[in-house]
Formats: sequence, C-alpha cells, structure tokens
Amino acid sequence: MTMGRHSSPSLKGRALPKLCGADIELGNFIAGMDQHGGTGYEASRALLAEIQGLPVRQNFHGDNWYSTASTTPRASTGSLSGICANPSDWAWNPQDVNRRFLASNGGSAYIDLNHAELCIPEVMSAFDHVAAWHGMLRIVRGALDRANEGRSADRRIQVLVNNSDGQGNSYGSHLSFLIGRCTFDNIFRRKAHYQQFLASFQISSILLTGQGKVGSENGRPYTPYQISQRADFFETLQGIQTTCNRPIVNARDETLCGRSRANDPTAAARLHVIFFDSALAHGSCLFRVGPMQLILTLLELGLVNPRLILDDPLAALEHLSHDATLKARAELITGQRMTALELQCACLDEVKRHAARGVFQEVVPRADEIIALWEDTLNKFIAGDLMALAPRLDWVMKLMAIERAMEQRPELDWDSPEIKVIDHLYSSLDDDGLYRAYETCGFTEQLVSQETIDRFETHPPADTRAWTRAMLLRRAASDCVEVESVDWDRMTFKIRGRFAWPSYRSVNLADPLGFTEEQAQPIFDSCADFGDLLDGLESLSANEAIPSDAITVN
Amino acid sequence: MRFLHRLNDQPQGNGSGDGDASADERLQQARAHGDQLLAAGDEAIQRALAGSNSEAFLRAGRQQGGQ
Repeated sequence: MTMGRHSSPSLKGRALPKLCGADIELGNFIAGMDQHGGTGYEASRALLAEIQGLPVRQNFHGDNWYSTASTTPRASTGSLSGICANPSDWAWNPQDVNRRFLASNGGSAYIDLNHAELCIPEVMSAFDHVAAWHGMLRIVRGALDRANEGRSADRRIQVLVNNSDGQGNSYGSHLSFLIGRCTFDNIFRRKAHYQQFLASFQISSILLTGQGKVGSENGRPYTPYQISQRADFFETLQGIQTTCNRPIVNARDETLCGRSRANDPTAAARLHVIFFDSALAHGSCLFRVGPMQLILTLLELGLVNPRLILDDPLAALEHLSHDATLKARAELITGQRMTALELQCACLDEVKRHAARGVFQEVVPRADEIIALWEDTLNKFIAGDLMALAPRLDWVMKLMAIERAMEQRPELDWDSPEIKVIDHLYSSLDDDGLYRAYETCGFTEQLVSQETIDRFETHPPADTRAWTRAMLLRRAASDCVEVESVDWDRMTFKIRGRFAWPSYRSVNLADPLGFTEEQAQPIFDSCADFGDLLDGLESLSANEAIPSDAITVN
Repeated sequence: MRFLHRLNDQPQGNGSGDGDASADERLQQARAHGDQLLAAGDEAIQRALAGSNSEAFLRAGRQQGGQ
C-alpha cells in the first residue's frame, strides 16, 4: 500500500495552539410591538447605533467588497471543491451590515439577518473566552440602556442571549478554532470517523453547554423541557450552510488568516462551529470552548477513538436533548448504548489518558483546570447533585427557575405562556433578566473574576493579534488617521500624502497568534509617525506566520 | 412534572447511591444553601410572572431566522 504524503510519519508535528473566537447573534425585538416579520430590523439597528466602533460607515451597506468579515463565499467555493478565499470568490453579503471593530477590546459588532451580532476578540484560553464574552455583554447592556432611554415601557428594546424565538426561528452562537489545514481536510474530506467523533462529542456535550428550552420546534416531537436550544434545528451531519438544513459539523472554509492555501497541508485553517447554544453561566460558557480545544487537539494528533462514535448522530441529538431526566440512551456504532453523561465520561477519560502524556502542553492553556472542572461537573451529575450544578450550568439554572415559578403558581404548567416567557427572560440583558438577577444576588458560580471581565470589556487580549488591532484603532483615532476598512486579518488606512493627496496603506495581520502586546508594543512605543508604525508592523507580518513544523500532518 | 427533584433523588451512577448518611447530609445542606440564594432571585421570577400579557410578549418576540 502506498503511503500518501498526508500519511507520512516524517511530516508529523505538534498541534496548533487552540486560539478561539466567537460570533454570537442576539435575539432582539421591541416588546409590545407585534408586527408581521417581527421588529428585529428596528431593534438591531437601534442597538448597534449605541455601539461605537470603526470604520465609520456613511450607510449601512458600505462594507468592503472583499472583506471576508462581511462577505460570503460564492456557491462554487469552499472546502468541498478545494477552492478557497480568492477575492473574486467572495460576494458582498447583504445580510451582514455595518460591521464595526471596537478600539476598546478588538472585538466587533454588526447586524446579521436583523440580529445584533457580537464577535469577541480572539483569545487563547477558555477562561479568557468567558471573560471576553461577559465583557462584550456589558458593552451591549450599556448600549441597550442608552437605546431604551426615553422609550415608553411598552416600546422597550428587548435583547435575549438565546438561540430561538420559540416560533420556529433560530439564530446562532458560533465559535471558531484554529486548526491545521490537514486536520480540516481530515474532518471534511478524508477521514469520516474524525467527523463522526467530533459530532458525537458535540452532541453529548449539550449536558454541559445547553441553555435549556421550554417545548420543541421545527416539527420535532413534543417535550415539555429540553436541554438544548438549538438541537431541534440540526437537520444534517455536515455542510457549509448555516441558515437552513443546519449541520452538526459546519464545513465553512474561511480561514481568517490571510489567503487560504487549501492544498497546503501545513497551512492553518479555521473550524467554524455552529452547534452550541448561547451561554451565560460561566460553566456553560467555558464548556463550549475548553473541552472542544482538548478534543480538537486529539483530532490534530490523530488520537481518535472510533468506539466513541454515535451510530445516528441526528437521532441521538434529538433523543438526548429531549430528555432532561438524563436517562435517554443513544446507540454507538459498537452497538453499546450510552446516556449523554456516560458518553461525556468516556470522552473525558480519553482526554485524561492523553493529558498524562503532555499532549496539551503549549496547545490548550490551563488544560488541567479545564479537565478538573469537567470531571467535577460530571461527578456531580453522577451523584445526582443538580442543585450544586445549577450555579454552573444554564439549562439546570433555567430549569430550577421555572420549577420555582411553578411552585409559586401551581396553576401554571409547561404549556403556559407565562412559563415560556420565563424561558426567554432567563437570558434577557435588561433589568428583567433572570440570569442577571441570580448573578447579582451571588447565586451564579464565577469562574472568572469581575475584575477580569472589567479588563476584557476595555482592553484587548494581550496574547493574540486582537491586541494590535485594538491599538491600531486607538492610534488611528488619536492621530486623526481615517480607518478605511478592518477585517480580522487586514486593516487599511487612508493616509494623507505630502500634498494632501490621500494614499491607502494596509497592514497584514494574517497570523492570529502574532502581533501580541509583547511583540508589537515596542513598535508602537518607538514610532511616532503612523506610516512608520505600519512599516514596523509589516516587519512582524513578514515573519512566517505559523511555522510549518508546528502543524501536524497526519 | 418536577425534573430537578427527580434528578436529585435518582443518582445516575456510582455516586451516593450507597446511602451514606454524611453524603445525604451534605446534599441537604447544599440544597438549603441553594434555596436561600434562589429566594433572592424569586423577585425576578415574580416580576416576570406579573408582567403584561405573556402571549403578547411572545408574539412580539418573533425573530428572523439567523445563522
């Protein structure tokens, strides 16, 4: 048997550090206004108008034609055809409008399909993800308060951090993970068991990441309460689409690391994850990211256990989500039937076994802490200690709140509209939000401190390119340099020439692991002229973005 | 149907199912502490239940499908 180059042991390396980003759509509407199609258009724009960022647009449709931050691949591109990310392959995406990047922390906000959408800055650690997400929520809360000033009580803008309106419409809470191109190809083009293993892990993880939902949608069988908000909306195993026929494993191939090199196994890629629910509880937030970082590392290193693959992932997802008593079992390809808890325990055992060999070092920050928290959580489930888990996990906290409401109002049941309202208000960012109330009174578990969240609200992460992005936006403002366009991996500025004739300068930020505070601060400190600053940063981008020997090819 | 009470009383595996008295006591203490904190959040629940027409709120919450 001939060994292809992708299988050659001589090309094996380490896994890439598991940098993570997120883009999360919010539910937004004007309470008290019942109109055909909803009020998302008005609510999202009123909210976004209160979030300051750059570039400043003259209108809502002036985004850069080639900006991959606001474009979508044409139908013929994407990993399935092996052709990716040439400028001519991208078309302006009219559903993604008025994107602005925040000089405060390097994140961004925009409108997508009439949902205000937030992107946190790129972070390295799952704990930083929790802090960055809650920092962004504070920014939105401030915007909401300002947008609601002067509004009557029956015309307040309502913002919900959830994934479903209960009327058959779903919106996403996406994650992005840095992986090697070879791993991406293994998942989507070469090794079906990689994809199945990933899907099976994601499905069982709703035990930790689900936000909980009253009822069912999208034609699924009735259930009074289920673990996941999004489960009913997944209709296929894999695909590039995100708005219909949603796949458990999303094949969107948009690297956000400069020009994609689809046929280069040593290049970087991004795994776009649309599966998880939006989260508020710190534990649920962390479990969306930390265990995924660990599992993806195993995938990158070829450490896939085919005995942990579900036979029918879609059926398993519905079955497991619809049973909040956690007794439901799903069949694996081995014929064994497992509960979500049992499958999660098996995945954790895999992770622990490899952690003992040091595979997560320099790849997943604070891996030991993630594993310990994961194990503690599963042990509490095993012990039946749900009240101890309520402060940590959204679906348990929400269930607790609803059952307390039913105790106080015995005439209500799972089909009562009042109970569905509590379902929604659990995630409200307004003063009526239940999670907010539990957080204020000290019930919720804090995995990151309020001081850390404060810092991520007003400062970018120091250890990713988000730092340079934020600093460039701040410097442009102070130097009165116009920001022409901003993308995750590229920024363009309009610089006045010697005779006031404008010229445009761009800086390439393709390396998400580069342009950190440590690397770029000396350049910022030493360059008083904006043009010199860009020259200095270009010297950083001239270095190899991600060393080829750092990327596993297996 | 009370999911949490059923889950609390039915250990899923090799947990406290052996009837260990100290484990039961710890569980009761945890529940009591949790109840104290939960009571502080009951005001938010009451506001939610006392709000104007729930059905109208749900209708107004219709969203456009997203990603």
